[in-house]
Amino acid sequence: MSIGQLELIRESLIAVVHEMRANVIRSSYSSIIYEGHDFSCALVAADGRLVAQGAADNPIHIFAVPYSTARIVEAFADDIHEGDIFLHNDPYTGGTHLNDVLMLYPVFDRGRLALFAATRCHWGDVGGMTPGSLSGRVREVYQEGLRITPTRICERGRMNDAFLGLLFDNMRIARERRGDFNTMLGTSRKAAEHLRRLFDRFGGDTLLDAVETLIAGAERVMRERIAAVPDGTYQAEGYLDNDGHGDEPLVGRLALTIDGDRIEADFTGSSPQTMGPTNVGPAMAFNAVASIVKSFLDPDTPVNHGSFNPIAIVNPPGSFLNATLPAPCGGMVECRALMCGLVVSALGRAMPDRLVGDLKGGANHVYVSGPRPDGDGIFLLYEYPAGGTGATARGDGNHAVRAFPEGDFNAVQSVEVVEAQCPLRVERHTLREGSCGDGEHRGGLGLRREVRVLVDGASLSVLADKNVIPPFGVAGGASGAANRFTVVRGGVSIEPSPVPGKVGGFALRAGDVVRMESSGGGGHGDPLARAASAVASDVALGYLDADQAARRYGVVLGPDGVDLDATEAARARLAAAVLRAPVVARADDDIERSRRRLTLPPALAGALEVEDGDLVELTTPSSGAALRAWARVGAVDDVLALGPVGRSVLGIAPGDEVTLRVVRREPQ
Amino acid sequence: MAAPGFLVGIDVGGTFTDVVAYAGDGRALALAKVPSLPGEQWRGVLEALSALGIAPTAIRAFVHGTTIATNALLERKGARTALVTTAGFRDVLEIGKCRRLAGGLFDAAWQRPPPIAPRDRRLEVAERTAADGTVLEVLDPAALASLAETLSARGAEAIAVAFVNSYVNAGNELAAAAALREALPGIPVSTSAALAPERGEFERTSTCVLNAYLTPVMTAYLTRLADALAERGVVAPVDIMGSNGGAMTLDAAAERCAGTFLSGPVGGVVGALRVAGDAGVRDLVTFDMGGTSTDVALIHDGRPRMSHDNQIDAYPLQMPQLDIHTIGAGGGSIVWVQPDGTLGVGPRSAGAVPGPACYGRGGTEPTVSDANLLLGRLPTARALSGGLVLQRERAERAFATLGRNLGVTDVVALADAAVRIAVAKMAGAVREVSVHRGFDPRDFALVGFGGAGPMHAFLVAAELGMSRVLVPPHPGHVSALGQMLADMRRDLVEVWGGRLSQLDLGDLRARADRLRARGGDLLRADGIAPERHRFAFSVDARYAGQSFTLPITWEPTDVDWTPLRRAFDARHEETFGYADATNDLEIVNLRLVATGLVDQPVLDLAPHGAGDPRIERRAVWLDGWREVDVLDREKLGIGTALDGPLIVEEAGGTTVVPPGWTVEVHASGALLCASG
Repeated sequence: MSIGQLELIRESLIAVVHEMRANVIRSSYSSIIYEGHDFSCALVAADGRLVAQGAADNPIHIFAVPYSTARIVEAFADDIHEGDIFLHNDPYTGGTHLNDVLMLYPVFDRGRLALFAATRCHWGDVGGMTPGSLSGRVREVYQEGLRITPTRICERGRMNDAFLGLLFDNMRIARERRGDFNTMLGTSRKAAEHLRRLFDRFGGDTLLDAVETLIAGAERVMRERIAAVPDGTYQAEGYLDNDGHGDEPLVGRLALTIDGDRIEADFTGSSPQTMGPTNVGPAMAFNAVASIVKSFLDPDTPVNHGSFNPIAIVNPPGSFLNATLPAPCGGMVECRALMCGLVVSALGRAMPDRLVGDLKGGANHVYVSGPRPDGDGIFLLYEYPAGGTGATARGDGNHAVRAFPEGDFNAVQSVEVVEAQCPLRVERHTLREGSCGDGEHRGGLGLRREVRVLVDGASLSVLADKNVIPPFGVAGGASGAANRFTVVRGGVSIEPSPVPGKVGGFALRAGDVVRMESSGGGGHGDPLARAASAVASDVALGYLDADQAARRYGVVLGPDGVDLDATEAARARLAAAVLRAPVVARADDDIERSRRRLTLPPALAGALEVEDGDLVELTTPSSGAALRAWARVGAVDDVLALGPVGRSVLGIAPGDEVTLRVVRREPQ
Repeated sequence: MAAPGFLVGIDVGGTFTDVVAYAGDGRALALAKVPSLPGEQWRGVLEALSALGIAPTAIRAFVHGTTIATNALLERKGARTALVTTAGFRDVLEIGKCRRLAGGLFDAAWQRPPPIAPRDRRLEVAERTAADGTVLEVLDPAALASLAETLSARGAEAIAVAFVNSYVNAGNELAAAAALREALPGIPVSTSAALAPERGEFERTSTCVLNAYLTPVMTAYLTRLADALAERGVVAPVDIMGSNGGAMTLDAAAERCAGTFLSGPVGGVVGALRVAGDAGVRDLVTFDMGGTSTDVALIHDGRPRMSHDNQIDAYPLQMPQLDIHTIGAGGGSIVWVQPDGTLGVGPRSAGAVPGPACYGRGGTEPTVSDANLLLGRLPTARALSGGLVLQRERAERAFATLGRNLGVTDVVALADAAVRIAVAKMAGAVREVSVHRGFDPRDFALVGFGGAGPMHAFLVAAELGMSRVLVPPHPGHVSALGQMLADMRRDLVEVWGGRLSQLDLGDLRARADRLRARGGDLLRADGIAPERHRFAFSVDARYAGQSFTLPITWEPTDVDWTPLRRAFDARHEETFGYADATNDLEIVNLRLVATGLVDQPVLDLAPHGAGDPRIERRAVWLDGWREVDVLDREKLGIGTALDGPLIVEEAGGTTVVPPGWTVEVHASGALLCASG
């Protein structure tokens, strides 16, 4: 291949994806796609390996496509022909959640299957129990809508209208679904035309050879980068709030092994699958690991499968991170976020300069739906308010914005669009002051958004995590505020569900205000080491109030700015009050069902104002994520005992000192 | 009949300030190029005028393309800006709709560009208008008075007022602005609905804040420029080129300065449109390639396309601009090896300083210009205009170093690859304004200008299957020419619409009449006599249920909706691959472009030189080394027909015509080129 040819082919393939995106955005029917941009496009090899995606395409969607494609290729093998089109959304064979529908369009070169054009769009509703399909209160996948296992919807150019009819007849706002389907179809056709022109121009063989060379190049870079990371096994542990029904958290466990130029991510030991929405199918563990590995090790090389070849996943079926039928999977983004957090924590200990505080813990799906005042069907507001992002060694997190492992699309809708189209009035769209996780670099603030419902008969559904267990800080940084979704009725705040963040069709009345508060990002480093001038600036901008600056950062502000003497004294007082203790070894980890327990001597518990069952955490300046545990107040020696996994997660040895502190849903 | 005196167009670029002046039919165009003076743009303008050597009093019209707005934003040198919003919405500017809008994928340490008005200068006031325009809460004058005090105490130098739903009813917004103007004389106040009366509080607020931020800087610049010109004896009115492709008065520019971000690039589009039109070409893609960036725009049937949802940096801007797509690749783009071993071109640029290696001014990294030199496409033996002699050995050294990192010794093959990659990027930009908007580039001629445009246009055209290329006369001065020729223009929009099946044509006509009257008033205020007013209406339309709209021309003479409906279905089919004839249409906005025609002189840009055009024969790499003729454009007579491969040199650029292309010197002076 001549010099430059490779680059030209890469540019050309990325151009195809860009064109697909432009097409979807401009011709789609549902606001979730045109306003929300909740869709992605990619080119995939005939065996399912990722060939190209665009800079705006969402890894949540795209990094799962290879798995789906491989299943489709497996199912249809030699029976794939020109004019065939496949549809898929089944989580157990590589889908994300049922709303994300994948169209796979095979493109042939001289009779040979060469590439697939893949378009994955979030359909606003795919049937199921509640409008919008996602709900925090489902018990089986059938309540989340129609499941499409790998299905050929068009055979040699002949569309299976009966199948499509059945599909659309069982979805709300069918006209919109058909419109989105047409958009995907038009987009795929244009992509195929474009690809055929490239086959003509470069020659199909040359083009496919170039694809292999590009994949090999990306793999080489990734292997070099992995090889530079210290070998070892790094463990991480994290929790989802619950399964949407009870209050037992779900634990995710990761043992991440760096071995030369390979990475193995082993999720063995995570909680069993549940009867609630917080499960994922087999594609998502790879998705999460690939997203963080790419971010930490080689963010710049254009995305193709080569970057992922050095990654191996161990994830036994039957856990909530690799669920089987009939576990619902609506909480896919929540489970992926947990896994991303585990990888950040584990890989971050091997690469401390990359560590980043945790964020909102998933999508924060919020649906407000009800009858249209004109009697013409229903209205549906779907938003997924972003939270603050985590802080890093290099700087503060950002306020209420899509985070680095997510595609860049709108998370809330335009107030004026909402008000023009729905009987709703948005009364507030502001930062959630004080919600940041503290640290030398603080996390970003969450969002506070209030929507008043102007009609009777509407309902609210929410599917969100981190309403109970807040986003973690790193390297000693503190947790951000947890998500919170409430309804204000007659001036009084009420809980729309017994399980925070999991709401299924709560009946709203005219005049009710739906209040969404997204979480703050986790902090990085010791808050008492934050520059006093930075804290003063946060106060000037109203991100924190003066009282919070004093209590959380020990920064005392006078009329002329920072009161240096008072600040020094306050910081010394706060530093002295931090509880530090050496850790002693115990033979096994103290685990009760899913929860890690930590037995505290009564004196220590008293000093922390901790009661039995409260959430606490252990950190060190060099730890990744803080290690969470539920306190057990008991008569033990005046020591903190940790089992081998706990010590490994913190990267400490017996005798090392750790900081012990209480974890609250909002920073105090 | 044109009045006596000079028309003058001045385009300020990053490196050079270009000026053209035209004294009347049949006279030669006067051209000059002087170095730009960063921070003192107005002085560069004066020097450019001096360089022309014409009497200031002889100037009768003067249009200026300025980069003041762009520079002030890039360097964050705008005013201390405050924002006043509806209670509950002061953070709309900072949060938007939670998008990053500026990269950040896979980058955990990414930080969002800070909002132009920081949170302590964003104040809320109790007021509310509903989506149907009903005022739910009126303004309290006492609250405004205290707000004004706070603004003053916080040192606000410019104020933006942006209220929720003001696009439907701007009453509260205007009342607040009036009260603030009265309480704070001397501080400019921008209002969101006056600038962008369209749905979308984030975009409208952002637009308003950008405008407020730039107003003091722009006013100061325009005042200084006007004073300096008056001092030199220029009596002609000075107009500023707007991003919408038309000129505006200084007053309008000061009021709507966020409408001047594309002031410079727009000149190129207008100039190319005129030059191509003179050569009978109405469907074209402009390709304006300079040292660090390249601007492309599509013109269909003599009309440039507009774009209404724009973004400057990470900030949305909802004002009509010509749909110009800019990429960070040009002659100075640096060629490098990416981590995966592939060759990269740009976005880093050697800029004007140190410049490409072959300039011999300290640059050592290989650039696209160095590649062209190694391929024989730029001269080495002779000085360029400006006296610079390019140094081949420096370019060779730069590429040899690059080659060692790649294990390649053939610097020519490497240079060829670098140019091809740059061309692929350019082709991507052309695809963006054509294919992505539903146009087939093969139906268009590529018009190559700017310092590096004529050298690359043929390669870009070939990449896209385009069979026609046009190289304007004076390719280095097309932007200034466009400034000189600009008509006055005002864009108006009214949010109006609904389902087509339920809309009343009479209502639309009545609204159109009112809009036209407003447009006429504005043009009269700009000093344009009514017989020179031209009005063009369009509506933003979509299928019911969609969000993105397509602009569709509407004639007030239409007797029913049929022409509109037909035009929309056809446009949708073209753009997205399908039409939905069963679905109702939804109209969202009515738009009016009000144009005030200025005298359009008959330009005579044909070459005047005579004699043998041959400068030399030299070896040029065009898929292999070939000996080709290098010709002097000044000596190519009208009607001359030539076959590629050949090179045409002139002061403003080098045209490289590959084999398989024919060249004809058109009566207008343009080179019309076609491939078999």
